[in-house]
Amino acid sequence: MSLILLMRLLVVLSAIYCLIALTVLVARTFSFGKWPRYAKAQGSSAKGIVYAFGQGMLPWEKESASKHLPTFFGGIAYHLGIFAALLIPAAGLLQIHLPDIADSVIRILIVIGLVSGIGLLIKRLTLPYMRFISCIDDYVANVLVELLLLSALLATFHLAWCRVMMIVTIVLLLYIPMGKIRHCVFFFYSRILFGKFFGRRGTLPHPSIQD
Amino acid sequence: MSEDTKKDSYEEHISGLTPAELAKALQTFCDKIEFGDAAQLNSCLHCGLCADTCHYYLASGELEALPAYKLNLVSAVFKNQHTRLGKITPALTGAKALDADMVSRWVDSLYGRCSLCGRCALNCTLGINISRLIRLARTTLASVNLVPPELQSTVNTAVDKGNNMGIPRQEWLDTLQWLDEELQQEVSDSAAHLPIDQSDTRLFYTVNPREPKFFPLSLLATAKIFYAAEESWTFSSDYYDVTNYGLFSGDDEASGVISARLRDSMHKLRANTLVLGECGHGYNANRWEAPEWLAGAYGFEVKSILEIIADYIRQGRIKLDPSRNQKRVTLHDPCNLVRLGGIIEEQRFILKRAVSDFVEMYPNRAQNFCCGGGGGQLSMTRFSKRRIEAGKIKAEQIRATGAKIVVAPCHNCVDQLSELNKEYKLGVEIKTVSEMVAEALVIEH
Repeated sequence: MSLILLMRLLVVLSAIYCLIALTVLVARTFSFGKWPRYAKAQGSSAKGIVYAFGQGMLPWEKESASKHLPTFFGGIAYHLGIFAALLIPAAGLLQIHLPDIADSVIRILIVIGLVSGIGLLIKRLTLPYMRFISCIDDYVANVLVELLLLSALLATFHLAWCRVMMIVTIVLLLYIPMGKIRHCVFFFYSRILFGKFFGRRGTLPHPSIQD
Repeated sequence: MSEDTKKDSYEEHISGLTPAELAKALQTFCDKIEFGDAAQLNSCLHCGLCADTCHYYLASGELEALPAYKLNLVSAVFKNQHTRLGKITPALTGAKALDADMVSRWVDSLYGRCSLCGRCALNCTLGINISRLIRLARTTLASVNLVPPELQSTVNTAVDKGNNMGIPRQEWLDTLQWLDEELQQEVSDSAAHLPIDQSDTRLFYTVNPREPKFFPLSLLATAKIFYAAEESWTFSSDYYDVTNYGLFSGDDEASGVISARLRDSMHKLRANTLVLGECGHGYNANRWEAPEWLAGAYGFEVKSILEIIADYIRQGRIKLDPSRNQKRVTLHDPCNLVRLGGIIEEQRFILKRAVSDFVEMYPNRAQNFCCGGGGGQLSMTRFSKRRIEAGKIKAEQIRATGAKIVVAPCHNCVDQLSELNKEYKLGVEIKTVSEMVAEALVIEH
């Protein structure tokens, strides 16, 4: 078995491990159980959930975004870059040749994502309040993702970087269920719970003004 | 026992926690976590964007007031108990055991730097219900008698005496008798009265015991509105306390005992609707949390007095003359009533018809800033300095409106705002919605 084939196999196995570990994590979370809610709803949980994933994601709807627009847009760019970068090892595994235009778009997204990710890391390292709330996991996760973005970008220029990219991908996939990157799953749960809570109580979506 | 002695013995209790007490606390913590809590305890990205949503952090700049730090204190224990990496390499994820040091930090930040206002939760990037998780930690501490003694004392008084001010039954009845006479004079009708223990009325009205104790005219204002609307209503001679400080102490058992009394009084009086007086946390506790503490749906309606008054106006049951309230008025949104309670527009609907110059403060509605009086802070005298400092944000909001009257549909907020008024020299009057409505009331019969 050639080295590149072995690495492809390891990427697949790490991806399978990552999926299984995340599934187990979610199952363990469910095992805590859910108590019934007895208070009569005032608003609508469903409308609250729709708000949480729709209007509630807009920057002017929450101060965490409206007062921090560079971070808000940096975060979006960072995530777009990550999704774009993941297409590179995926295309390699499936042996799909991406058209040049797609290659160019992916490169641009990765570069923007990389710059944003480094910006977020610098913010975490330099602001005292950010350092105060950070743990090692926050830095490890950021650096691992940065390495993926960088190696994927380089791999689009030279095949020799594919091996580095695959090693980084394997490490990242193994790390995801253990550290904060698990929010790729829990983000959805948190937003659903947010929408249900404030929706049921009639706080969100904003009730219409009575004049 | 003096405050200092209480503080000493409380702190001694923390530093001398036995392994058995810590194990019991941890057991409570684990038992109380449900699926949603576990999911949210796994979610925080430490993005720090919640920082300036918290009035404590904004006012003091102290890192221990950061919502993400407070959440970290809770999730550290969760990770230590429930995640593999947290057990194997705690330093990597910030996992920590629940020991005396952690308990001390919990008390300092989760009781001492949080009013459970929920503003961080509303603005969290992921939507983590931080205040709910902080209350979970408070419940954990309550299970080993580690509620700050002054707050515990308020809960104990409510459980032992039937109301949080410890007002004897006769004193309550005497106050109502006196208010009965005042009402008759006010409306020039000898048939007007404040009904007590009447069965089968439409409404059973509950109040914050601070009203009969310190602000009886606020009770008179509501009675006048009921009179004008020709309402069928009653007080209870026994249990009338809308407050429930168990919501703040975290003690679910005591919370259930206190809430059950109002539920049982409803059944005894056979009223249709439990009406909660102007009390933010009383609304949250009785409308939203009590059925959960008592594990059963209420078979009756639970409404805020604001909903009742707004209905009177819509139905033409009362008439208001806004020219009787000429001064500029602004509105404070109590967190437990508005953000956590969902009563957002009724008070605005009422005030726009009861006063001639109404201005909003900014931000408002669900995005309002806490005045600093919630979360049991008014009881916990050991944290008073922080409470007044955190209230600076609200004081600045009020000053910016140029209002002469601040309306607060919550007696805890009224108390805190009165202190802020003195501390920050705002030169305003603090009133309730009912008081403004009573001033504007046109009685035609």
